[in-house]
Amino acid sequence: MIQAPSSNPSFESDFWKDANLRKTWDEIIPGEPRRTIPYKLTHEAIALFCKAVGETNPLYLDEAAAKAGPFGGLIAPPSIHILLMFACTPTDDWMRSPGTVNAGQSWSYNIPARPGDIITLQARALDKFIKRERLFVVHDNVFFNQNGEVICSGRGQTIRPM
Amino acid sequence: MTVTFDHLKIGDVIDGPVFSVSRESIRLFCDASLDYNPLHLDDEYMKGSFGKTNFGGIIMHSMNNFALITRMLTDWAQPSGAIHRRLETRWLKPVKPGDTIEPTGVIKSKQVTAKSRWALIDVIIHNQNGEHVAIGEAMVEFPVATKVG
Repeated sequence: MIQAPSSNPSFESDFWKDANLRKTWDEIIPGEPRRTIPYKLTHEAIALFCKAVGETNPLYLDEAAAKAGPFGGLIAPPSIHILLMFACTPTDDWMRSPGTVNAGQSWSYNIPARPGDIITLQARALDKFIKRERLFVVHDNVFFNQNGEVICSGRGQTIRPM
Repeated sequence: MTVTFDHLKIGDVIDGPVFSVSRESIRLFCDASLDYNPLHLDDEYMKGSFGKTNFGGIIMHSMNNFALITRMLTDWAQPSGAIHRRLETRWLKPVKPGDTIEPTGVIKSKQVTAKSRWALIDVIIHNQNGEHVAIGEAMVEFPVATKVG
């Protein structure tokens, strides 16, 4: 059994939980907004993400250096949306369906996320199709900070479990 | 080392970090990304097939590739005051514990727009056997106000 992550003890890390409530490929309606949950980004979560990918950039990790740098304070790496995607996704959402396979992504970056930001996600399936007997969904996602500014926006394709 | 838009040449190469993939690195990425899909955790589950695909064991998150390419691009761009603006990727091959992966970038073209300057970069990740596991394209902005030198 998987323990809840120390970085976020309330996060449900068992992806089988509520699996029966999630929409299958047949049930996903392109264009329909997904329900999402706001997430407070912390320095600890950023530091753990940096550790997992070997990031050592002082702009993400060293408060004094970051303060003297171009952003006037600590920021998160652009790729932090990888964490935000799951942090903002409720347990009954199809993005968590076990066996969901990532088939490619494209992301555009506007301004950096910062520790302390309250992040919100606007997301939906935009399209779905069948190719070589595989069931694809195209999803689009936009992350905002507490001031309503766009942090980043992206589109991904997943192959849905059959 | 810093680069300037004017001195950037088509074909210039950006070297990325070497990354060793292990069960531990994959588990750490689960905790860091909150992506606990059993694809990355559950050996029993991974004996099964997914549609037409059988991976034969747990696999690394493909977004670990994405984060590694991002690390390469920001490490290259930030010291010069350039900004990583876009990354598009496709996955070609699953990455497994024991693999070593390394991203590389190659400057494909330069573009000046009404208000800014852009470098378009082809990115590739290869594994220890020289196989390509991910490919993509990136856009890095060199704002006009950036100091030269």
